[in-house]
Amino acid sequence: MITLDPAILNRVIKPARYTGNEWNSVKKDHSTVAVTVALALPDVYEVGMSNLGLKILYQILNNRTDTAAERVYAPWVDMEAEMRTHNIPLYTLESLKPVAEFDIVGFSLQYEMSYSNVLNMLDLAGIPLLAAERDENEPLIVGGGPCTFNAEPAADFFDCFILGEGEEIIEDMVEVVSAWKQANKADGRLGLLKKLAQIEGMYVPSLYDVTYNADGTVAQVVPNCAEASFVVTKRVVKDLNTVEYATRPVLPYLDIVHDRIMLELFRGCTRGCRFCQAGVLYRPVRERTPETLLKIANELVDSTGYSEISLTSLSSADYSCLPDVVQSLVDELKDQGVSISLPSLRIDSFSIELAQKLQQVRKSGLTFAPEAGTQRLRDVINKGVTEKNLEDAVSAAFAAGWSTVKLYFMMGLPTETDEDVLGIAKLAYRVLEIYKQVTGRRGAKVTISVACFVPKPHTPFQWFGQDMAAEFERKQRLLKAELRDRNISFNWHDARTSFLEGAFARGDRRLGQVLLTAWQNGARFDGWSEHFKYNVWIEAFKAAEIDPHFYATRERTIDEVMPWDHLSSGATKVFLAREYLNAIGEVLTSDCRRDQCSACGVCPELDVKVIDWGNKA
Amino acid sequence: MAKLRLEITKGEEIRYISHLDYASAIERAIIRAKLPAAYSEGFNPHMKLSFASALAVGVTSQAEYMDIEFKKEVNLGEGVRRIAAALPPGIMVKSAKYMPASVPALMAIVNLATYDVIVPFRVGEFVSVEESIRRFNETQEVLYTRETPKGRKEIEVKQYIARPIIAIQQDSLVKLAIDIKITQTGSIKPGEILELLVDMFELAVDRDRALINRTGLYVANDKTRVNPIEL
Repeated sequence: MITLDPAILNRVIKPARYTGNEWNSVKKDHSTVAVTVALALPDVYEVGMSNLGLKILYQILNNRTDTAAERVYAPWVDMEAEMRTHNIPLYTLESLKPVAEFDIVGFSLQYEMSYSNVLNMLDLAGIPLLAAERDENEPLIVGGGPCTFNAEPAADFFDCFILGEGEEIIEDMVEVVSAWKQANKADGRLGLLKKLAQIEGMYVPSLYDVTYNADGTVAQVVPNCAEASFVVTKRVVKDLNTVEYATRPVLPYLDIVHDRIMLELFRGCTRGCRFCQAGVLYRPVRERTPETLLKIANELVDSTGYSEISLTSLSSADYSCLPDVVQSLVDELKDQGVSISLPSLRIDSFSIELAQKLQQVRKSGLTFAPEAGTQRLRDVINKGVTEKNLEDAVSAAFAAGWSTVKLYFMMGLPTETDEDVLGIAKLAYRVLEIYKQVTGRRGAKVTISVACFVPKPHTPFQWFGQDMAAEFERKQRLLKAELRDRNISFNWHDARTSFLEGAFARGDRRLGQVLLTAWQNGARFDGWSEHFKYNVWIEAFKAAEIDPHFYATRERTIDEVMPWDHLSSGATKVFLAREYLNAIGEVLTSDCRRDQCSACGVCPELDVKVIDWGNKA
Repeated sequence: MAKLRLEITKGEEIRYISHLDYASAIERAIIRAKLPAAYSEGFNPHMKLSFASALAVGVTSQAEYMDIEFKKEVNLGEGVRRIAAALPPGIMVKSAKYMPASVPALMAIVNLATYDVIVPFRVGEFVSVEESIRRFNETQEVLYTRETPKGRKEIEVKQYIARPIIAIQQDSLVKLAIDIKITQTGSIKPGEILELLVDMFELAVDRDRALINRTGLYVANDKTRVNPIEL
């Protein structure tokens, strides 16, 4: 057990990040369990504690009497400096035991720019960074989360990756590790990895060899042993009503990013936006029943004392029984002072009515995501939203008394022209105009937030060459010059961060060297603008003689072997390619949830079904 | 309406949480305990909780006081049992009592806080601990400059010192007993007193390692000190 000197805790900012003892945290005597798991998120406490997936896994693992699961997050830079100066190894918040003493360390990989923090955490833990350098006495380093569908750039540092939903596979993994330990770690680390590779949805990168063509593209990725399958397909929970949910989440003392109950209505979204990776990775749509949701909500209020419930899903307003569920939640919980909120709104008047019903705090304003500035480009990305939808939605919002609207867009989408970019400004002005029409006054506040589009693996745009950073910056200037009204504020993303995110999102194993060098030269917290060191990354690419443009800005041919082709979300490459062609042709694809099947391949491949209670009536 | 006054602790387990975080931890415990807390009116209702005095990050306490309003009176024993079961580690209920609705707010009546500061002693220093403390106690006026993000402010410290500081040395540690007045126009924090003792009176201690504990909060006059739950 680590003892923390008060002098250190008195010096660092937000010391409660490092001291644990939160309500609902689970402390077990490690001598009474077979397997210990450290659940890690490679970002600061407030971000890590907001992750729903880890909350669920924490509960599932701790429900097992043979397993102890604890939490660990990236220490902020001030605490890291203290830990390095005073030789304090990375430790978990429950037992304050060194992470290196655990059997399994599981990292949730939500974002490519957090990879440097994984390396930093392993180093702070005193665990050899490279999987090849770890023996059977070191913890098993596991990755989960959306990035695992192409974590090839980080493959050198991980023993295995979990593809897809973790509720079931996490227990399979614990059982394999437990049995291996009981068998005196038979055949060492390789013996364990080969056993793990036989679990459906488990990808063990060291059991695959990658060869490259002369032009630098991947020739093939093939298993180097019988235990590894040619293609690893994601795990998916067939019925969300029958799996455990995080009903006893650890309650932080300090204010975290999502400091409220997260009630997950359903998983998956099949609206089919062509830029969206989550829309492919979490297919198909599976709703929880209203009864399950009410039961979970009550349990959560009882176990946490939170007074706000956020209805989370990829597109919560699409839940088939939303008005009924909202009404029941309000009726049952209002006496306890509990309010209900929707994190994002669909662009229609239904959503406004709902928001009104929930009496969300007006000052926070409403957020919509048209994603693109013209109808043509919205059709390219299959964002099924028309100008009319947006006009109706903001009119309804202004009529209901809101005056602040936030609009999210992307720039750098396929086929984008300057006219599309300027269309963003036109929409912003249109919103101001609607406010005047509806209320007869001026004074609406419109915030335009424009991200740089990063093409992601397993999407129809996985072949697309990302815009150059200079081109993003030109478009940002173009738009900025148009947005001169003081009632419009304009936010944009750093083009260079997006460029590196683009390189790592579609990178291959050769980027492992770049990652290692960049970390050695000080890269960490790259998602935090104040810590992002672009030059460190560019120097690391140079040192490895690798061109980041090869990964980020190069348009691929349709038949190119992708570094992630052996990792399957269930959606076929044929479907993705068809969708890319539909995008270029500005052809819309309907939502299979309530409309025609678009033959993505997920349901037959994974033997699952769409579960939408609106269809059952 | 019923107003329940509680005497509670802030223990070692939660030493490093802020006053705001402490208050919200208690608020959530009251919801978990299913007690009939009253809420303010308005667009953003909040639970009617009030404290005697905020406690800084890094400071523990063996006697905090808070008032909570209930929509209806709950049996005292039952209420305390429920809240005690819902409180996180580090917060204990030491005492509880229903107060008349007209009772003045804790913040308005509590005017004295007592602290123990335990801090490692630095050996081989020229000035002894006794000597530094004696000099502080005998000085009529001590000026301290408080720096906050809002700016600098000069404060006369001795007006807030309720009685001479007592220092006891035990092995390698020094224990200082400091009684501080809380006035309508302000007060001073024990951490600030420790800082000026080191900087201005050459107190030979390792200030960074100080463990500060609030030992009591009182309603005091020239003759007596009463804790707010005994009122």
